[in-house]
Amino acid sequence: MKPAAIIGAGMIPFGRRYEDTLLDMLAAASLNALDDAGLGSQTVDALYVANVGGGMLQHQTAIASSLADRLSLLPAAAETIENGPASGASAVKAGLLAIASGWCNAVLVVGGEKMRAGDGAHTTDFASTMTHPQAEYPYGVTMPGLAGMFARLYMQKYGVTAEHLQAISIKNHEMGALNPYAHFRKPINRQEIFDGPQAALLNPIVADPLRLYDLCPTSDGAAALVLSSVEVARRLGKPYVVIAGFGQATDTQTLAERADPTELRAVTLAARQAFAMANLTPSDVDVAELHDAFTILEIAASERVGFFPEGEGGAAALQGKTRLGGVIPINVSGGLKARGHPMGATGVAQIVEIVWQLRRQLPPERQVPNAQIGLTLNFGGFANNVLCFILKREEP
Amino acid sequence: MSAPALTAYRCKNCGHIHYPYHDRCLQCRGRNFEEIHPQGCARLLTYTSIFNLPYGFDQRSLLLGIAEFENRIKALGQIKAESTDRLKIGMRLKAVWEPIRPHQDGDIFGLKFEPLEE
Repeated sequence: MKPAAIIGAGMIPFGRRYEDTLLDMLAAASLNALDDAGLGSQTVDALYVANVGGGMLQHQTAIASSLADRLSLLPAAAETIENGPASGASAVKAGLLAIASGWCNAVLVVGGEKMRAGDGAHTTDFASTMTHPQAEYPYGVTMPGLAGMFARLYMQKYGVTAEHLQAISIKNHEMGALNPYAHFRKPINRQEIFDGPQAALLNPIVADPLRLYDLCPTSDGAAALVLSSVEVARRLGKPYVVIAGFGQATDTQTLAERADPTELRAVTLAARQAFAMANLTPSDVDVAELHDAFTILEIAASERVGFFPEGEGGAAALQGKTRLGGVIPINVSGGLKARGHPMGATGVAQIVEIVWQLRRQLPPERQVPNAQIGLTLNFGGFANNVLCFILKREEP
Repeated sequence: MSAPALTAYRCKNCGHIHYPYHDRCLQCRGRNFEEIHPQGCARLLTYTSIFNLPYGFDQRSLLLGIAEFENRIKALGQIKAESTDRLKIGMRLKAVWEPIRPHQDGDIFGLKFEPLEE
């Protein structure tokens, strides 16, 4: 397999983008990535678009064909990739394989979602369609509901407390406040949100034991990457990023059918594959973006990926080990928790952040010094389809 | 609960129990299954109370839990309780088959768990 490089990265600010259509957002992020790659007036060999809800929420399908036309990428090959909240990572994987097989020299990967157009109940229902159609969905279970049941098990098994969860939320909001692309750009006032007399009102239970500040927001947004062969990247004459490894694994669709739901087996397997392909270990990673749709998932994933021993992720977060300047900075972008989670965009945005980190182009207050190796972890469903990428900085 | 209400599947080759249905056994990939039904009481494995309900529910909150029956069938169900206050992992539950969701063509039925006094 030929290695693939990332030569362009771009996104648009996540949040409430009522004025933009889904195609507006996908096009804007794509142009940012194409310009970043220096391909502003050129086409690519293929386009992969990650999107989940276009058909349900916007009544729009075959989105990749629309975008290829709108961006004048014709006659590039174009496909829409849908893999739940892991659609972004799956689209990157499709782009990687197009390069690695030798079929393409340059591909555009873009993920986007417009989730704030409808009312909350319909958007919640949209996300719930990922659950099992007979054994879960009819019961009214939501993704936060599954996370709540997972959190209760995890907290009981490993002694994780609300304080550990709050450490994730506080850290990610702090980092989001520094990221101009983040949905939430305001640090958490601990006294007001967690400890004050209004805490129960400002931070209500959403899915017991998880509260509002344990959940990512519902966001609009898009993010894009340009992938190329390493030969093309080298010719650009500046540092670039290569995909050193990736892995993907699935688990049972229902949480109930897992022998031990706290295991997150698909996370462990996907990460193990990625490290083996990259010939690296967790201690080699300088910066990571983990799928913190719920605070408990950042803690659990930080252990299952291999950054911390089983059961020690919560304490590590509380001790500041996952902060910028800690042993392994996690979700310096703000993560899904603060940067936001426009479903199809998330897996791409995670890699955009790591590319920026590895190029060392971010302002000092949110740059991991001398970052050389980064990792991303993107979940589809409730940890039943997981993709892990390991990215590496290369000099020209 | 009425026997046919929830059907689970025991692999005829290795005995692994499945709910919901799979075309091949999760453990041995066998394709022959025996239909089985929940037996006895269930034990609560985990639970939650959700407050942001999806479209289709006209209530403020919903209690949900995963429980395991005496014959090892594990399933998600709604919990008949006022709040999570009385719930605890490991408690015994009685299962009933009742309406779980309103629908224009008539209520959808499913599993509900009633906490039993220890």
